[in-house]
Amino acid sequence: MVTREDIENIALLSKLFVDEKDLDSLTEEMQKIVAFADTISSVQVDTGEFDNINNLSNAFRADEVRESLPVDEILRNAPEQAEDHFLVRKRA
Amino acid sequence: MGQIKRLHEKLTAREITCVELTQRFLDAIENSNKELNAYITVTPETALAQAKAVDEKIARGEEIGLLEGIPMTLKDNISTKGIATTCASRILTGYKPIYDATVYELLLKEGVVMLGKTNMDEFAMGSSCETSCFGGAKNPHSLDHVAGGSSGGAASAVGANLAVYGLGSDTGGSIRQPASFCGIVGLKPTYGAVSRYGLIAYASSFDQIGPITHDVEDAAIIFDAIAKYDERDSTSQGSEAALPTLYDAIAGKRIGIANQYLNGVREDVKDAVLEAARLYESMGAQIVYFDLPELDFALPCYYILAMAEASSNLGRYDGIRYGFKAEHYNGIHDMICRTRSEGFGKEVQRRILMGTYVLSAGYYDAYYKKAVNLRGAIVAAFDRAFEQVDAILAPTAPVTAFRSGYLFGEETDPLEQYLSDICTVPVNTAGLPAVSVPCGEDSEGLPIGMQLIGRKFDEKTILNLAWQYEQRGYQAKETKWGVKL
Repeated sequence: MVTREDIENIALLSKLFVDEKDLDSLTEEMQKIVAFADTISSVQVDTGEFDNINNLSNAFRADEVRESLPVDEILRNAPEQAEDHFLVRKRA
Repeated sequence: MGQIKRLHEKLTAREITCVELTQRFLDAIENSNKELNAYITVTPETALAQAKAVDEKIARGEEIGLLEGIPMTLKDNISTKGIATTCASRILTGYKPIYDATVYELLLKEGVVMLGKTNMDEFAMGSSCETSCFGGAKNPHSLDHVAGGSSGGAASAVGANLAVYGLGSDTGGSIRQPASFCGIVGLKPTYGAVSRYGLIAYASSFDQIGPITHDVEDAAIIFDAIAKYDERDSTSQGSEAALPTLYDAIAGKRIGIANQYLNGVREDVKDAVLEAARLYESMGAQIVYFDLPELDFALPCYYILAMAEASSNLGRYDGIRYGFKAEHYNGIHDMICRTRSEGFGKEVQRRILMGTYVLSAGYYDAYYKKAVNLRGAIVAAFDRAFEQVDAILAPTAPVTAFRSGYLFGEETDPLEQYLSDICTVPVNTAGLPAVSVPCGEDSEGLPIGMQLIGRKFDEKTILNLAWQYEQRGYQAKETKWGVKL
């Protein structure tokens, strides 16, 4: 059973604000989705641990210095920037 | 002959210049996009510059490649250097990538003409294109109906002849379902066949880029051009070319029909798929009915995993490095929360919350871990099936295009959207390739699609089967829109 407190806690972890007025309807919606997800709990299939879809292992490249993306181009997308850094003000 | 080869001949025979061809598409977009909403961004300057370069090459008497000068489009979650890439989300307002996605890089080398970026569900989360912050793309067969989703803009654009082909992405059916709704062809390649570098992530272990085209030959041509190993995507492997065997005879091929795929499918859709099966039999293929009970839990398994991956992937949107940032806030936590709450749409927030829920302490084993292991059971079930058959035939969607607004109506359960993906998600869960082709129409004239599902990295077999069907099976209706060539 999903409660209002569950949603408040999950929203905090997700870094999302949920409006007080939407909390009840969202709890109800989430309860439906969780009930749907719960349908897998009754499935009994003898599977081992599954790793990944194509049995891939980590792909490492040689440890050599390569050119990175240019800082000034990266910063062009930042809402605020200063002296080659992303700028985050305490409040606005 | 497919549309790409036909246009290539016109260009090389100098019946039309590439600039003229491109301008016709740009004019058609200008005339129709208000109604169809297929494009988010149109790039006339880029397209005309690319077209001019092709004309100059032809004028010098140089040979041009098959894809050279062919006007195409990219879904707006595929990164394009210096061109806005929005994912149809407010949170990426103003964002212009500083690099091209590998698929676009590969196509640029082929000399393509890029007309613009197409509409989609926000972050590819949806089945009707209606979660787009720009409003949904319309179906070129009926403006009262959706184009499907999430690559609805690409399917609308191709179906309405506002591009020769488009690249979409398919996480749970997002190429095949809109292709089916718009009466065209859509190929979801094997997981790992096409590089995801530069594709903005939704659920990384499911996402694949693939072509949306008018015909099967075009899909094979595009697939062969983009299915290459790329060291920048550690899961990429490339695949075998499809074109060399595309036109082969199919006598002796074994095509499976899983009984579970027909459960809950609307009668007219089922009939159209079974009619295609009969046609295959007449071409010498063998139809084998079998059971695939694992399909019953593929849908919840997919949604648990996709939402979990999404909640992690979308953690990066914090208003600091790119895109939208909340105007007023007090402290960094407040800034990030406000940015995300104001920047993400409702469906995206719902999936982030659900993904966070299944990954949180106390629920991880019951949901996420269990779903991962069930995924293994689904992979194994398909492996067993492919010991008996060369391909599996199934409906692409249980119904035809939804009426606009239906999925988000007051009366509609939020689960209905998820349930409508029942036929497409098992393929992504197992990492398999599948191609959707038109196979009929309903009483309102809306297209019905069927999909052929193949073994991993065996796109060539399903495209061969699809091409053979296309020659003798249902002929998709042209829409009234766009450039007629």
